[in-house]
Amino acid sequence: MKDLTKDPITLIIAGVGGQGNVLMSFLIGSALVSQGYFVSIFDNYGASQRLGAVASHIKISKEASNNSPLLHEGDADIIVGLEPVELLRNLGRFGNPDVMTITNTRAIYPIGVISGEAEYPDLDRALEIIGKLSAKSWIIHATEEALKLGNPIFANVILLGALIGSCTLPLDKSSMEAVLKEQLPNVFEMNMVALNRGLELVGQ
Amino acid sequence: MEGKASKELFKDVIDKGLCTLCGGCFGFCPYLAFHTERIVRLHQCTLSEGQCYQYCPRTSTDLNAINQQVFGVPYGEDEIGIAKKVFLARSTDKEIQQKAQDGGVVTSLLSFALTEGMIDGAVETKLDDEKVPHGFIARNREELLECAGVSYEPSPVLEAINHLPKESTEKLGFVGLPCHVASLSKMKVSPPANRANIENVKLTIGLFCGWTLSHGFHQFLHNRFDISKAIKFDIPHHPAHSFDVYTKSETQSVDLDELSPFINKACSYCFDMTAEFSDISVGSGRTMFKGWNTVIIRTKAGAEILEIAKGRHAIETQHIPADSLTNLKRASLNKKKKALQNIISMTGGIDDVLYLGISQNLINTLLE
Amino acid sequence: MSNIEIDAPGTTQFLLGNEAIARGALEAGIGFATAYPGTPSSEIMATLAPIAKKMGFYAEWSINEMVAFEAASAASLSNIRALSSMKANGVNVIADFLVNLQMTGVGKGLVLVVCDDPGGMTSSNEQDTRPIAKWLNIPLLEPSTAQECKDMTKWAFDLSEELGMVCMVRSVIYLSHTRGNVRLDQLPKKKKEAYFADIYDLDNPRQSRFTCGMQFHPYKQSEELLKKFSKASEKCESSPFNCYEGPDKAELLIITSGICWTYSVEAVKILNLQDKVGVLKLGVTWPLPEGFVKKYLERSQKILFVEEIAPFVERSVMEFVANLPPDRTRPTLYGKRSGHVRAWGEQNLDLVIQSIASVMGITYQSRQSRSVEYSQKVREISQTLPNRPLTFCPGCPHRASFWAIKNALQLDGRNGFVTGDIGCTAMGMISPGSFQVRTYYAMGGGVGIAGGFGHLGQFGFTQPVIAVCGDSTFFHASIPGLINGIWNQSNFILAILDNDATAMTGFQPHPGTGVKATGELGEKVSIEALCRSLGVNVEVCNPFDIKKTTATLLKLMAGVGGTQVVIMRRECELVRARRDRKKLYQMYVEPNRCIGEACGCNRLCARIFSCPGLVWDREAGKAKIDDAVCAGCGLCADICPQGAIIREAV
Repeated sequence: MKDLTKDPITLIIAGVGGQGNVLMSFLIGSALVSQGYFVSIFDNYGASQRLGAVASHIKISKEASNNSPLLHEGDADIIVGLEPVELLRNLGRFGNPDVMTITNTRAIYPIGVISGEAEYPDLDRALEIIGKLSAKSWIIHATEEALKLGNPIFANVILLGALIGSCTLPLDKSSMEAVLKEQLPNVFEMNMVALNRGLELVGQ
Repeated sequence: MEGKASKELFKDVIDKGLCTLCGGCFGFCPYLAFHTERIVRLHQCTLSEGQCYQYCPRTSTDLNAINQQVFGVPYGEDEIGIAKKVFLARSTDKEIQQKAQDGGVVTSLLSFALTEGMIDGAVETKLDDEKVPHGFIARNREELLECAGVSYEPSPVLEAINHLPKESTEKLGFVGLPCHVASLSKMKVSPPANRANIENVKLTIGLFCGWTLSHGFHQFLHNRFDISKAIKFDIPHHPAHSFDVYTKSETQSVDLDELSPFINKACSYCFDMTAEFSDISVGSGRTMFKGWNTVIIRTKAGAEILEIAKGRHAIETQHIPADSLTNLKRASLNKKKKALQNIISMTGGIDDVLYLGISQNLINTLLE
Repeated sequence: MSNIEIDAPGTTQFLLGNEAIARGALEAGIGFATAYPGTPSSEIMATLAPIAKKMGFYAEWSINEMVAFEAASAASLSNIRALSSMKANGVNVIADFLVNLQMTGVGKGLVLVVCDDPGGMTSSNEQDTRPIAKWLNIPLLEPSTAQECKDMTKWAFDLSEELGMVCMVRSVIYLSHTRGNVRLDQLPKKKKEAYFADIYDLDNPRQSRFTCGMQFHPYKQSEELLKKFSKASEKCESSPFNCYEGPDKAELLIITSGICWTYSVEAVKILNLQDKVGVLKLGVTWPLPEGFVKKYLERSQKILFVEEIAPFVERSVMEFVANLPPDRTRPTLYGKRSGHVRAWGEQNLDLVIQSIASVMGITYQSRQSRSVEYSQKVREISQTLPNRPLTFCPGCPHRASFWAIKNALQLDGRNGFVTGDIGCTAMGMISPGSFQVRTYYAMGGGVGIAGGFGHLGQFGFTQPVIAVCGDSTFFHASIPGLINGIWNQSNFILAILDNDATAMTGFQPHPGTGVKATGELGEKVSIEALCRSLGVNVEVCNPFDIKKTTATLLKLMAGVGGTQVVIMRRECELVRARRDRKKLYQMYVEPNRCIGEACGCNRLCARIFSCPGLVWDREAGKAKIDDAVCAGCGLCADICPQGAIIREAV
């Protein structure tokens, strides 16, 4: 088990209900637990399901600790955004000058934006700001890539691949592979294609 | 700038009690609907300018613009509007005569126009299963005959035009009351965007109208006698003072005064008895000429079709006696006077005559 | 996702707090489990039910919490360990039975698991259920971690049996929905035998035992209960779930329980106050372990109470402090009463850091706030971000139902209104439901209050009233209100929005769906047959046929009066999609037909119909289908006034 660059490492997975945010955080946590780490995840699903804002707080430690499952202000080491506005929203509360971010580029419009009462920020500008507010950032067209594979839901596994490839976490590809096989045996092949695509997209 | 859309339509017209249920405002957009003799707002429209307000006959009406559009001359302030010719007429068709209210001229002209291919459809009023009038496009003689006769109720006829698909190229005839014709005329002056071309309406026939009755009058009559077998209602002219119900075998009557609670209040603000902006206006032949219609020809289009129909013996005509014409003009003038008086009572003074775009001169004349 | 039935003591599983509770019940040898769906408790039964047959216990989604708890009690009175789980509001529903159960006690362990929702993220209200433990003298356990969820649930069964009374385990959403490493223990293999011992004694009828030996004299039972409860204090005093971490003599003593313990411990670390601040964790918060508390209280001058939501532990300790001998110096108490801890809503790490810092008179700067430039930039951008309010899922039949209801009420024109209820239908209050719901209380509240409105005709009341509820809510609580309305001839319409699921909480089955908790099939209970048997007029329609549904509602509203029922039935779109795995239609907008902002449309679809799959393309000025979100239900095609939305069968 690798030593951690800091203890705990904190990670937020942010997205919109229905994108597979909870599954993604579970896969990450399970893989890390299988590698011997102590992990806590808080998912705020519930009434936020279905197109509400969802964020998973993940903390990774080398030893059992009684850390709270929640991050506090400015405490994120890594933020992964399944959706750009959700990434920005979590940057707002948990970002700091050292944060590393991985963002999907596909917008999902809140009802208020659709009805014309609220504005969705200009996407290019939003991605630019994300870059400015991160020590290191990766922009991934995960939904576009997922549509090429036949279903937008694969965006989360593609981002998973990108996360592994970013080397921001001590997350082994082999332990993730084992978890994918155990948890989602029926779609294992497709998921591996998506995972590898994510790795490719960050240059691995 | 104050908006002029559905919200204002309610404020300026409907909530003021001016709405005659002509249907000019709905059938086109999803925000307005018609139910149990009311125009209803279903959802919140946030536009500042709407066609519903623009084409309502009870919002500000530029009589000059309409006159120019329809007749090519400014508004003339005549008692019965521009009248090239006035005479009596009736259908020669036995079947139409049976179904008709008076002379069957409207049904005859429209049937003729349909058969000759001058129009593809006639925008009419038809009663549904609950005997509630609705706009309907008749596309053959049978359908036209089903619409014959007067219901004495308001009918949102214009909805039939309003929800025509944009691409429609059907040539149309139209028959309606003065308020329908006024709304239609406003549309001709400023053709509605995103809709079927209003120029498709080739022939406009207006009916003489004093007032309409609310639907409740059916129940009132039914409490007196069984009206389920009624084939016709009629209000015979002076000196009679009754409302007649015809069945196949007999006629029943009530005193006209008994129906006054059902007279639509909105009609008391109406300035137009003879549908002054139509191509042809048609009314009853009055008691003297039972079974005939009084006909006013106003435009070239109206004159043309009447000549052709007469030439083919679809209708026959006769002169209207001078005193009948005088009576007609006097009746129309009285309606104008009453309307103006009622409007001024509502607004509190001659500075505000609501929708009426008439000159100060005319106001003064009418108030004398 | 997780494997809680694995028989591998000493190994680690990555479990949700709720899954750990379920595992704790398994390790305690549970024989009977009941629940009614309620966030954040639902995962407990959702985890237990699928393995019930295999593991040899009975599990059931009951029709409501009252019935669930009553059933579980029966098991515990018959030598079988039982558990019943629910959200906070469920405890309100079982309160009468619970009061009486305290009078009789239990046989084998009976554990009541309650999952509170501080902040009310997923509830109609915010409620701290802990005071009921004090009111009824129920031992109350508050786990703080996923591991404790398991271990304390297991212990709760032992404690319940030792005391002969129900034990309450209280979790909160932040614990129930947190996943963590949990080390497993053994699964017992003991055979379970059920028998109810309090039977009729023919030779000594007067001495026949009556549920756990109590005679029916309430005051005597109260005395018995107090005796039992003092035994509880002894046992809880020495519980290993009470612990202290910190210096011998702490300048500030934090007394905390539940998940707030983890916030407190981490906050002290972050503030670097480990040598000044001690953290006292109470695993048992009722009865208060007085000896344990006294020991550490005596060593500190400042006490800070960190808990959610009510100042429950705070008040208990205050009572205790008031009883200290007069010569003792009283410590200064900080908490919700002093305003140092927020008295409403959930606690979190940021708030606890602030509370401690303010008591200790220090300031804390986070990694973010330390960098002024970063903080400013991030604050600026945050203010421009649109919120994500709740909505009906794309394809949800409720969107159609409320559209029809709104149309009907507007056409009717008498200022009629909707009384709402709990569940997905509650979103009738906001934009996706056309803002139609006007009252909103508790399960069954919609029909009950409608019944009242329906009797105001004698005072000139003419507004039509439509009570709306879902299918699961109907079974849970609406039936008595409906019968009352029919019997008393109250004028209202009950609209049951039957989407064949308990959707809001995660698609649990109910008697109308025909499937049980364990997956077994059962005879569906027909809602319309049930209603018709009450002698009421029942109409059934498909909400997607908006024209017909609107006409049906208008007909009912114009009717002669009395109670009427309309069932708006269409399957929940998520259930359908999961089963059929494909869209019904491929949707697209024909841009040439879309007139968008112009008169005749005014963006009806995007602005008012409000489906997340149908978005407004500002640049093009046209509506557009978002394929990644659209469920392909086809309803919007019927809404568009220009026929610009096209649906093609897939």
